[in-house]
Amino acid sequence: MTGRGERRRSHGIPTTQGARGAPRALTELGEGVRIAFSALAGHRLRSALTTLGIVIGVMTVIAIVAIIQGLNQSFEAQIQNFGAHTVYVAKHPFVSVDEEWWKLRNRRNLGRRELEAIQRESRVAVAVAPMTFVRSTVGAGGRDLESVQVNGTNQDYPATGGGTVRAGRFLADSDVELARPVAVLGADVADELFPGPPDAALGKKLRVAGRPFTVVGVLERKGQLLGIPMDANVSIPFTAFGRIFGDKRSLAIAVAAPPGEVTALEDELTSILRRARAVSPEKPDDFNLNRQDQFLKVYRQLTGALYGVAIGVGIITLVVGGIGIMNIMLVSVHERTREIGVRRALGARRRTILLQFLVESSVVAALGGALGTALGLAVAQAIAMLSPLAAAATPSAIGLGLGFSAAVGLLFGSWPAWRAANLDPVEALRWE
Amino acid sequence: MTEPLIALDGITRVYRVGGEEVRALDGVSFEIARGEWVAIVGQSGSGKSTLMNVLGLLDTPTAGSYRLSGQDVAGLDDDTLADVRNREIGFIFQTFQLLPRASAVQNVELPLVYRGVPRRERRARAEEALRAVGLDNRMKHKPNELSGGQRQRVAIARALVGEPSLLLADEPTGNLDSATGEEIVRLFGELHGRGHTILLVTHEPRLAARCPRAIRISDGRIVADGPGCDIAALGAPKAVAG
Repeated sequence: MTGRGERRRSHGIPTTQGARGAPRALTELGEGVRIAFSALAGHRLRSALTTLGIVIGVMTVIAIVAIIQGLNQSFEAQIQNFGAHTVYVAKHPFVSVDEEWWKLRNRRNLGRRELEAIQRESRVAVAVAPMTFVRSTVGAGGRDLESVQVNGTNQDYPATGGGTVRAGRFLADSDVELARPVAVLGADVADELFPGPPDAALGKKLRVAGRPFTVVGVLERKGQLLGIPMDANVSIPFTAFGRIFGDKRSLAIAVAAPPGEVTALEDELTSILRRARAVSPEKPDDFNLNRQDQFLKVYRQLTGALYGVAIGVGIITLVVGGIGIMNIMLVSVHERTREIGVRRALGARRRTILLQFLVESSVVAALGGALGTALGLAVAQAIAMLSPLAAAATPSAIGLGLGFSAAVGLLFGSWPAWRAANLDPVEALRWE
Repeated sequence: MTEPLIALDGITRVYRVGGEEVRALDGVSFEIARGEWVAIVGQSGSGKSTLMNVLGLLDTPTAGSYRLSGQDVAGLDDDTLADVRNREIGFIFQTFQLLPRASAVQNVELPLVYRGVPRRERRARAEEALRAVGLDNRMKHKPNELSGGQRQRVAIARALVGEPSLLLADEPTGNLDSATGEEIVRLFGELHGRGHTILLVTHEPRLAARCPRAIRISDGRIVADGPGCDIAALGAPKAVAG
């Protein structure tokens, strides 16, 4: 540009002094922004209505994404309740996605035989704990709690990710061997029956399904997993459990491996269990080895689908909003045909006009995006307060909302802006 | 002053309207020296508007050559034409063509915006131009707060602010009452006295008579070129009151 200007000067057209080159682009951009705001201010209602589509679209996406991210954070915290290196042997998979239930319903229960086979034969396992439970009444003094989860397990349960002792001790080998009537309380049960410091419960008498037990320990609070409270339970030796509730119940068996040897443990468990359950070589396994990451996998599928829906809804509303912007920009270009002609006559280049209208459409869209982001975060916070759902807004979601809406402004503003830039100045000046 | 500011040679502009050719300009040639005050006079449909658009680099002739300050403008690209308009030509329109939402001083600043003049200098020069046309105390007014004569003065200030080589005025008094129109004509006289080159397109012989030189155009051809009073008298046997 400068070069051309200099050449022209040497041809003899006298030119006035004044800045050339780089500052011009900046001045034009500044002018573009100024014009955009003054045009928007001149049509407040129209601008607000135009940007409403963008506001709603961005608000929806931001709210959904904030809630999904909140769920992710709380889910990932909760999943830590399961041992990271633990394999849960059970009759059924934890989460069954495509296996048919009728193939699973006739499987034989897992019982003491399998438990003892693993305890006896496994070289990799560092802890082996049976897991079985019923819901029963638990009481102390004059209070009774209905429908408390009573777990039958053994001394290895904490090492398989079953919890951490806060006060007292967990079950001991001898408790299990002798089927002693001792119990370890979950945090909710301890709080309800023995208020005060956690060791207030130690040594106290407890009724489990009407039988007398003695409290020997209290567990740390675990919180919730998928909305289910994890602290309303009592753990007793599974031998004692069998005497009260019967020992034909199906067990699950939690087996912990040293870090990095989970796969080796799974291979080993498969062969131990097939032998113990006498599965003939041509038949498939009639049990499942479950791990916490199966939960994560299913969970991710679920939130992935939710993300898909959010993005789909967002794109549709942004396209609708974008069409609204395009429409109003076409009206704006039409109305300002003469202004465009004047600007062209006074020396505005095509791209200057283009820039002016692009700035205008992206300012409308970005304002809508900012408003939508704020509203979306507010909606997510409201949902988080009024429902068990969590909400977390990450900067990336906010950046996405703003970036997307500005991009919509540019995209849908470009055709009207192109039309404005390519108006014939003579025609435009004559426009009535 | 050896080289004329404007040199037209055989300028022809042909439009196609529904498959039919319309020769709006048909071989127009003339020269205008720096410092001249020239009227281009003709009735509506004579081709004078097309001529003004060609001279203002808003329209491109079909044939012929146009040299502005010795440079052939044929083949200049759109960006360069915009830059040349910005630097060399000050437009004054019959309908003023001010931006309604911008104040007087913002309107006057506009050509300097497209030249990249920094804000402060822009403002100072715009105010100076407004003072030069006698609008010292109307700088912040919006066009709808100004009278017709004041609006046209703002438009003239806008044309002057970039110190162009040529002022191109299209029926500048057409939307004004005769007293206000007279003020504007006197202002042009002053500008001419200060050395500005002025080209005034009009259908009014009375206005042409005020110019030292007038070119009469009819059916796209020059039919007379001479002192303003002669041309006006010659072309207006039955004076049409404007």
